[in-house]
Amino acid sequence: MKLINRLLRKNTSPARIAGFVISNFIGLAIIVGGVQFYQDARSLWADDDSFIKSDYLVVNKKVTAANTWKDADSGFSEAEIADLKAQPWVRGVGEFMATDYKVWASVSAGGRGMSTMLFFESLPDEYVDAKGADWTFKPGDDVVPIIISKDYLALYNFGFAGSAGLPQMSESIMAGIPLRLVLTSDDGLRQKTLNARVTGFSNRLNTILVPRSFMEWSNAELGRGGAAAKPSRLVVDVSSPGDVAIKDYLSDHGLEVAGDKSGSSASFLLKLVVGIVLAVGIVITLLSLFILLLSISLLMEKNREKLHALLMLGCPLTEVSAPYERIIIFATFAAYLLAAACGIALRTSYISQLEALGLNASEWWIGLATGLSVALLVMVVNVLAVKNKVLDSWR
Amino acid sequence: MIINSIKLSGMLPRVFSSESIPDSDVWKRELTFRRGEYYLVEAASGGGKSSMCSYIFGARTDYEGTLRFNDTDTATLVISQWQELRRRNLAYLPQELSLFPELTALQNIELKNSLTGWKTREEIELWLEELGIDSRRDYPVGKMSIGQQQRVGIIRALCQPFDFILLDEPVSHLDAENNRKAARMIIGEASRQEAGIIATSVGNPLIIEESVRLKL
Repeated sequence: MKLINRLLRKNTSPARIAGFVISNFIGLAIIVGGVQFYQDARSLWADDDSFIKSDYLVVNKKVTAANTWKDADSGFSEAEIADLKAQPWVRGVGEFMATDYKVWASVSAGGRGMSTMLFFESLPDEYVDAKGADWTFKPGDDVVPIIISKDYLALYNFGFAGSAGLPQMSESIMAGIPLRLVLTSDDGLRQKTLNARVTGFSNRLNTILVPRSFMEWSNAELGRGGAAAKPSRLVVDVSSPGDVAIKDYLSDHGLEVAGDKSGSSASFLLKLVVGIVLAVGIVITLLSLFILLLSISLLMEKNREKLHALLMLGCPLTEVSAPYERIIIFATFAAYLLAAACGIALRTSYISQLEALGLNASEWWIGLATGLSVALLVMVVNVLAVKNKVLDSWR
Repeated sequence: MIINSIKLSGMLPRVFSSESIPDSDVWKRELTFRRGEYYLVEAASGGGKSSMCSYIFGARTDYEGTLRFNDTDTATLVISQWQELRRRNLAYLPQELSLFPELTALQNIELKNSLTGWKTREEIELWLEELGIDSRRDYPVGKMSIGQQQRVGIIRALCQPFDFILLDEPVSHLDAENNRKAARMIIGEASRQEAGIIATSVGNPLIIEESVRLKL
């Protein structure tokens, strides 16, 4: 079939193909880089969280001066919880459970020891999205998994560590540090010593979370044994988080939602900038698609007589279109590979800075996969155009 | 599938539909070409010989009436079927030859043969020799005379199995001696395959002794 190739490739313009490769490369590189950067940077502002679904709202009562001075607690009474459960937009309500004893945590990091008083809370397991065996505790286990708020890490890194002359810590380093817990009952008569490990960081859970099984066990062992305290925070599973009725209900009852950052202007700005960049990338890709479309059409138009003559010889349509399809596939892949290399280089240059900000970088392949699907789309459109053109020259 | 008969029923090129056509054995008649028989179609230029060949080969459809292979209306055939027919059932030498001028004589022939795998290299070389163009084997076809090109075209048309071979003025630029050689070669292939021959001419017909003569 080399002869067919030779016949049909005649009049191929390397300059036009190169023009396509370059423009398609630029377009794809912008798409690959833009999508990947958006994915990586999103968690800086995003309110979605791997530990808690976005349709879960963490709700607490607003703390006012009255709360402080009056002895009234800010807990939810059973009636209040029942009222909340009765709302049409509520699918379920989970209660935070707090410790009924004192917690001391100590850590030795960077050659120095530190210890602090701490508290724990827990949620019913179905509200915590921590996967795997990490998030379990059985009585007798030596290590308690905990999830802490990302804000605490930020407070430590950017507020405390600098002024106290301590090293900054990334999430992975933090997760590797063993914590020593000393749990003491209120009367000081019972004590337990355990290890703990940070297994995750959450954007939306503004607390220090332990498994419910640990909470129940430790409260039974060390608690005062009275009736459980009223929960001061609730997690509410709502049918649609954007519902106005939710906002109205919450403000009417003096409640607020924790960790609600979705409306922040930084997130909006990021989306806007990435949107503009991606739009430019898409426009360039579209233009490159038309460049290829036009140059292949022109080439086939020039070779139309040969195409027709080959078809008159009984040449199968697939063989006649194959040389052009090969040009398309080769050129598009070349452009994509260049773009992918560019995207990877770009990511390498920014990822360490993002990780220093304590960021959970997203999957590395999302940008590449997006670019690949766009490249495949360009390819398919062009191949279809070639097939069309071959059919056109049949008669 | 084997094409045993090609039936033309009331066929007429559309361009003729408003004209009064002179007496013709083909247009507006019931005509059947049978496999195994040889036909010579003669006409003045402009009579529609090439149109008839194009219609039968599926290259054009601007006609009235119907065209059937056996009992199949050719209007129902799809492109892939036509391509298959062109490799297995119908051989065609168009008047304009449709050779690729930048390829050599041998390349032109081998291009076709690679689609059908019908002839060996030796057989092709032998044919080139028989028609006296073996010395032009590796010449670009574009630089050959029309007569030489016609001989390349004839060999190329024979490089496939066929039930019918359509030859549109195949020997118009050949002398009587080469005409005879070409005719012998074509008849040899056709009789081996029990195929039919449909050859047209405007005065210098392919030399076939026992043939049905039709006037367009």
